Amino acid sequence: MQADHVHTHPVNFDPTWSEPDHHEPAAEQGRAYRIGIGGPVGSGKTALTAALCRAFRGELNLAVVTNDIYTTEDADFLRRAGVLDVDRIEAVQTGCCPHTAIRDDITANLDAVETLEERHPGLELVIIESGGDNLTAVFSRGLVDRQIFVVDVAGGDKVPRKGGPGVTTADLLVINKIDLAPLVGADLEVMASDAARMRGELPVIAQSLAETPDAPVVADWVRSQLPVRTG
Amino acid sequence: MHTVALVLSDSRFPGGGHVHSGGLEEAAARGLVSDIRSLGLFLAGRLRTAGELAAIFAAASVKCHEWSTLDEELDARTPSPAQREASRAQGRATVRAGRRAWPSPVLDSLVQATPRPHHAIVLGALTGIAGGSSADAALTAAYLSVSGPASAAIRLLGLDPFAVNAQVTRLGEAIQAVADRAVSVAGLPPADLPGPGAPGLDLLAEAHVRHHKEEVRLFAS
Amino acid sequence: MKAHARVVAELVDGRTVLRELRSQSPLTLVPHRGKPGLVHLVNSASAPLGGDELDLTLIAGPGAALRIAGVAASLVLPGPKPALSRFTVHVEAAEGSTVEYLPEATVVTQRAHHAAVFTGSLEPSARLIVREMLVLGREGESPGRLTSETTVRRGERPVLSQRLEIDSLIASPAVLAGRRVLATDLRVGYEDPPSAVAGEWCSLVPLAAGGSLATALAHDAVAAQRMIGLLNRSG
Repeated sequence: MQADHVHTHPVNFDPTWSEPDHHEPAAEQGRAYRIGIGGPVGSGKTALTAALCRAFRGELNLAVVTNDIYTTEDADFLRRAGVLDVDRIEAVQTGCCPHTAIRDDITANLDAVETLEERHPGLELVIIESGGDNLTAVFSRGLVDRQIFVVDVAGGDKVPRKGGPGVTTADLLVINKIDLAPLVGADLEVMASDAARMRGELPVIAQSLAETPDAPVVADWVRSQLPVRTG
Repeated sequence: MHTVALVLSDSRFPGGGHVHSGGLEEAAARGLVSDIRSLGLFLAGRLRTAGELAAIFAAASVKCHEWSTLDEELDARTPSPAQREASRAQGRATVRAGRRAWPSPVLDSLVQATPRPHHAIVLGALTGIAGGSSADAALTAAYLSVSGPASAAIRLLGLDPFAVNAQVTRLGEAIQAVADRAVSVAGLPPADLPGPGAPGLDLLAEAHVRHHKEEVRLFAS
Repeated sequence: MKAHARVVAELVDGRTVLRELRSQSPLTLVPHRGKPGLVHLVNSASAPLGGDELDLTLIAGPGAALRIAGVAASLVLPGPKPALSRFTVHVEAAEGSTVEYLPEATVVTQRAHHAAVFTGSLEPSARLIVREMLVLGREGESPGRLTSETTVRRGERPVLSQRLEIDSLIASPAVLAGRRVLATDLRVGYEDPPSAVAGEWCSLVPLAAGGSLATALAHDAVAAQRMIGLLNRSG
């Protein structure tokens, strides 16, 4: 029997746990701005999310929805990073279909966003981190206002050339872990030129969180996207 | 059959169904379902228990709009809190999608009376609003009771999708029989509606939640 | 065979007295000499048998405390001709009363065809405990057919309404997972567990309208009873 068997986690995994209801979709005006962070497994989505949380600490009323929790370790990563109060993180179960949860049936993510908005009135930004997926996974425009697609040099310098909706259509493409390029034999110039060719005018940022842990360039891009705040 | 039944039972319907395995994840984790044969037995049992209960309340909710009474009666037929929560989570998700597709004062009255309605009741309400019949609602609910877990089995166990699809197809007559029985009682007063129970599913659902708190599961139910 | 047994308990001067106690074979009710309100239910013949219709009515007046305790397991057997046997228990519990219905196991033997029906009608402040143990077939025997229905209402609200049909699908993990014994323990009007407690094959859950239900699936009655005991202690 597990009666006295209590576990504590930074994120509530309990599907029976619920907050007061919020059935009306949040008003378009006044709701938090939503930025999706997608990309393949291991490209650094969670690390970028943590970096942005650090960058915006004290600046923005911020929360995170993560679809990337496969083990409790992922949740602990954000907690240990000490960048966000645990009640500002919501985990979403994706039923083994991370792309479905951010694109085809966004219900669980919308529920999570609305739960956070209700819990933290005046929320300005919600970062929705997708589960690791392949190059075709993009966020539905019904879920996010802007999306960032994260690839890394360790995945090979051919990744931008492969294209796919994530690389070609995301509002921002981030090439992560550029400090590793010499170690993995990746040619950054090839990646940058391929990315520019595939994306046209859409921006690309190459960064290393080892060198700039607060992702200042990406943070500036996010700031530039936010609606003008009044008051 | 009315097209509302097709829309609601389509796995592409964005009602949050893909994150629910209906006990399959727990059953698979314990090795109770591991192949097509054991999946078939799981699905047949689920259809006759949880599926029939859902079909009964979906059929009843097409014409009966005593939302609070239906809600209480279905609660009494769902002893497991994990099952009640899974039903309400899917109900609310289906309302979210349904409000855009079939806006109606009937749906508004449902949400007003029960902010997180049970899935079966929402299915019945939407079917009625769209012009479908109790038979449409019952068939939808009965089919969904096995199609969701079958899809979860493909994702969790890597079973051959053709074999799984054939297994679901073999349940065709049983699905129709469950729907027919549901329609035959749908006009009863809510208090007199049958409440087919599923001790196995209830125990799997509670264990799923317990495991979830310890090690994370991939499905919400 | 048709039989109707009935007990009416009332509170008189702070003490439960049995205002009415009617046995009818094969349902024999034996009041305990020392403990007011305790009645033993004795199945005086091998019953129920196919074709039998047995009714037991238990009525507790305001404040009364009635406990019906089984003495031995009842063995449901097929009759000489294939026919349904039915055992119906009906409880009416008035304000402030307590009814405990604690029969021994019901063993559904091969080829038996049985319906067990329990209905409870409770006033809001009444309390109820119902213990049920269904054993599907004797050791090594496949069971006959069984329908078990439990409906309990308190005041205007339904508390529990469950129907279980035992047929070829009992092997399904969704139904009984091939386990031979289903034990349940329903309590209404007692302290409910704040949240569900679950083991692998047992759980104790709070019901939506108040009350709690312990359920265990096991291969034998002893194991089922042990799980229920553990659950009710830990809850």
